[in-house]
Amino acid sequence: MEHNIAEELYSESLRFSQLELSPSSAAHNDHQLPGNDETDLLDKDGLAWDDSDEVFGESSDLDREWQRRHDQFYTIGYRDGVIAGKEASAQEGFNIGFKQSVPIGYNWGLVKGATSAFACLPDELKERLVEDQGHRDKFQDLYKSVNSLSTPDALKLFSDEIMSDKTTQQSKAAEASGLTAGSQVQSLEPSRLGSYFAELRSLLIECPAIDVRLDMSP
Amino acid sequence: MDVRPEPADAGSDIFDSSLNLEDAHFREGYADGHRHGVAAGTEEGRQVGLKTGFETGEELGFYRGCVGVWGSAIRADPTRYSARVQKSVRTMEALLDGYPTMEPEDERVQEMMGDLRLKFRAVCASLGAKLENRGYLKGVDNKDVEF
Repeated sequence: MEHNIAEELYSESLRFSQLELSPSSAAHNDHQLPGNDETDLLDKDGLAWDDSDEVFGESSDLDREWQRRHDQFYTIGYRDGVIAGKEASAQEGFNIGFKQSVPIGYNWGLVKGATSAFACLPDELKERLVEDQGHRDKFQDLYKSVNSLSTPDALKLFSDEIMSDKTTQQSKAAEASGLTAGSQVQSLEPSRLGSYFAELRSLLIECPAIDVRLDMSP
Repeated sequence: MDVRPEPADAGSDIFDSSLNLEDAHFREGYADGHRHGVAAGTEEGRQVGLKTGFETGEELGFYRGCVGVWGSAIRADPTRYSARVQKSVRTMEALLDGYPTMEPEDERVQEMMGDLRLKFRAVCASLGAKLENRGYLKGVDNKDVEF
């Protein structure tokens, strides 16, 4: 994460310091057509570089100086803008990611908590709560499977799942409402983490004496 | 924020008159930078949020699962549990019911999570339950997962 930030900031300042060094840089072509993204900006710079000798070869010193100063202030502004933009948007991005992953983590934690607490009950009480031996065995099996996964393991599984889930990228801009979160859980249902939850849910239906609230508080 | 509409040496050359132009260049760069910064900041924040949200959800879900089973066990055999344990489980339940799970910016979450952890440990100690609550209680989570 920090590496990415550093790389990004660094590459940006590097790019613009290169622009600054070139007296005939034609980046000012851009200011009439505001670039929509970074690649856009880069491409136009590239083009302008190629024929800058012809177009600006005879430009006066004043033009060059004008361009140099344009780049200088553009760069200063750009850096400040990047920093301010990041500061302004980081929390919102955090909230989007948080709301997307919290229901998935919650369901995973439910399976861990319910099966762990059950496994720790005295046998007598287990039998009273769950009469059927087969169901008790299922609880125990589920307990063993989920406890072989640590939180970092589960997080890794989750991140792999989310990377393979392309709808995630599309929905990132959408405000994660309760509805969105619900559909996210559903889309991840066939996953490994989701299958544990499905197993617990069907097991609990067969063991009505154990009352675990499955839905998340708002 | 460090806004510099003019450089330190601006007063010493023939471009004095272009100050407002420089300001325009600054603002032009600022607008482009801001746009890119917002995009980058949103994505970076989202990555952190995904990780934090998963961990928070896992911990809350874990407690909810425990509380559900404990509550059921208390109903099945109340004599087995002390009044103090029963009260702690009820307190945990109330904390979970009121926890603003989808509101990471809510100021109450830190205190509520702290209370939940304390109650959880207290109940575990009273029950003599050795719950393997790996990841949060033992602070195992030092592996960085990149999304």
